[in-house]
Amino acid sequence: MRFSANGYYIERYVKCDCCGVLIYDDGIPVTHPTAGPLLFCSAWCREWQAQKLAGIESPVVNETFA
Amino acid sequence: MDFVTMNILDNTMLSLCREMGIVLMKTSYSTIFNEALDFTCGIASPKGEMLAAAEFCPAQIGGLPLLIRSCLQEVPLSEIEPGDVLIHNDPYRGGLHTPEHTLFCPVFVDGELVAFTVVIGHVAEVGGMVPGGFPSEATEIFHEGIRVPPVKIRKRGEDVVEVWKLWLANVRTPRYNYGDMRAMISGVELGSARLADIVRKYGREVFRQTCEDLMDYAEKRMCAEIAAIPDGRYSFVDYMDNDGVSDSEIRIEAHCHVIGDRLVVDYTGSSPQVRGPINATLGVAWSAAYNAVLHLTDPSIPKNSGCFRPIKIIAPRGTVVNVDYPAPEVGGNTEAHPRIAGAVIGALAQAAPKRAMAGEGGTHLNFVFGGHDPKHDEYFACYDIEVVGWGARANADGNDATDSINGNCRVMPVEVFETRYPWLTEEYALRMDSGGAGRQRGGLGTQKIYRCLDAEITASQLTDRHQHQAYGLDGGQPGASGMTWYQASNSEIWQTMVEAFAKRSTSKWSNVTFKPGDRVQILTPGGGGFGEPAERDPSQLAADVSDGFVSAEAARRDYAR
Repeated sequence: MRFSANGYYIERYVKCDCCGVLIYDDGIPVTHPTAGPLLFCSAWCREWQAQKLAGIESPVVNETFA
Repeated sequence: MDFVTMNILDNTMLSLCREMGIVLMKTSYSTIFNEALDFTCGIASPKGEMLAAAEFCPAQIGGLPLLIRSCLQEVPLSEIEPGDVLIHNDPYRGGLHTPEHTLFCPVFVDGELVAFTVVIGHVAEVGGMVPGGFPSEATEIFHEGIRVPPVKIRKRGEDVVEVWKLWLANVRTPRYNYGDMRAMISGVELGSARLADIVRKYGREVFRQTCEDLMDYAEKRMCAEIAAIPDGRYSFVDYMDNDGVSDSEIRIEAHCHVIGDRLVVDYTGSSPQVRGPINATLGVAWSAAYNAVLHLTDPSIPKNSGCFRPIKIIAPRGTVVNVDYPAPEVGGNTEAHPRIAGAVIGALAQAAPKRAMAGEGGTHLNFVFGGHDPKHDEYFACYDIEVVGWGARANADGNDATDSINGNCRVMPVEVFETRYPWLTEEYALRMDSGGAGRQRGGLGTQKIYRCLDAEITASQLTDRHQHQAYGLDGGQPGASGMTWYQASNSEIWQTMVEAFAKRSTSKWSNVTFKPGDRVQILTPGGGGFGEPAERDPSQLAADVSDGFVSAEAARRDYAR
């Protein structure tokens, strides 16, 4: 989430490119070769989306849920 | 893990949450609180985890974890003091929809913040383009009423007058809103005082550790339930009729990945967000998944954040299940939620058919209205909920005339309705033939006729299932669709809102003026059937015909062997 400098209002609503949750910190930025720049809330989301973008219908991710 | 203390504390916190709810019921001004009970009371940890929630409104119970988490992102714990009460309703900051206001009250013991008490309540009037808070023709969030980011409405035990004035200046019924807000504050403050006593009794460390144990226990119980479902990917699609401002149907898609004792619910494939107000916020998408899973699992699992840990939800941004600012969203919490939850249940029904129910009516009907009350010389507004038929299960017929699965609200008694508002209820009955045929029959919807009495009333409605019926399972037939009809005082003809007022949708229309003598008839949808109709026990079918639940004609047509 990008707030104005004084914190009075929101300039941009930042969401995870996998699960859609609001991201208040820096998140995990990734540049995907075809999908371009992506931002994730967690390692789980990064891995799940990587497998989905690779065409895997039912990804298996060893990370814990965020 | 001390099971005895854990069990006692769990039930003590649950009782406390119920007591907070009784305060709301007994002291609020609006019928949506004191009759319909459209609120939920809970307890949260300082980290934002839900520790307990009373069994009022499931949509709000499932929405609590994200709400608390989002609120605490903006108001650091270091700024929270004893006697503070925070208010929040912003759908774009973890909220569910604009009318849903959440209050948080810290619980301090010996100077340490040990918990929050929480109340979420549906405030009947929030400003915006229609009285009653459901502008079904809205095309942006600003049409839907005032948004309140997380701010303090009470600070160190004193009202923050500026916040009160700003809020009450933006609603049509300030006296009622004031009373309802006081009721909510009384609820969280009573809960805070009671919980502080409980923590003092057990000691802070025992309380903290027992809450951790309780969440771990709930997680283990939920993991065991999920592990009993065969691994696999199960998918289901359901549709909403339209968004009120265009004619396109809206796709809700759920893919449930069961992976050992974990469940991933992925909504990828759902429609992009739409112009009209049936988009769901992320909080709704979470809540609907949780609601569905709770319907399919052991109801004795404690309802806290622990039981949600094994569930991961993927709600792609910019879709009808995770709307991006500034699109409208008020119907997402009432109409999209049951459709999303129904899609999750429909998907998991393939793996656990004996636990699932068929599709339910899936709407709260959301008949809202307002006008000037000449007797008291003030504005009135009402949010009226109607009930639907629930889906049949493998071992039972669907519930008749019950609020959709995310609401668990009561219908306002006719006597109260007629006392408070200028309507006469001319008919209220179970709706024959509305339950989907099946070995187990779908629950019945209702039919109701209101006549406008001595005042002009501005009414709106945001409902669904006028076109897409509640689905049947295992050969069961779909439930009947709903409809809303209008009859002018000088006419014998019943018309849809499209025919009478050139509205775009029969189910979603705003700001229609009813004059004395005008009537509205609301037919609510029925639930889907379960199993082949021909397999229904003949004695049960005979009883249905005798009771007027199924007509003789439908019995011959739908249940032929």
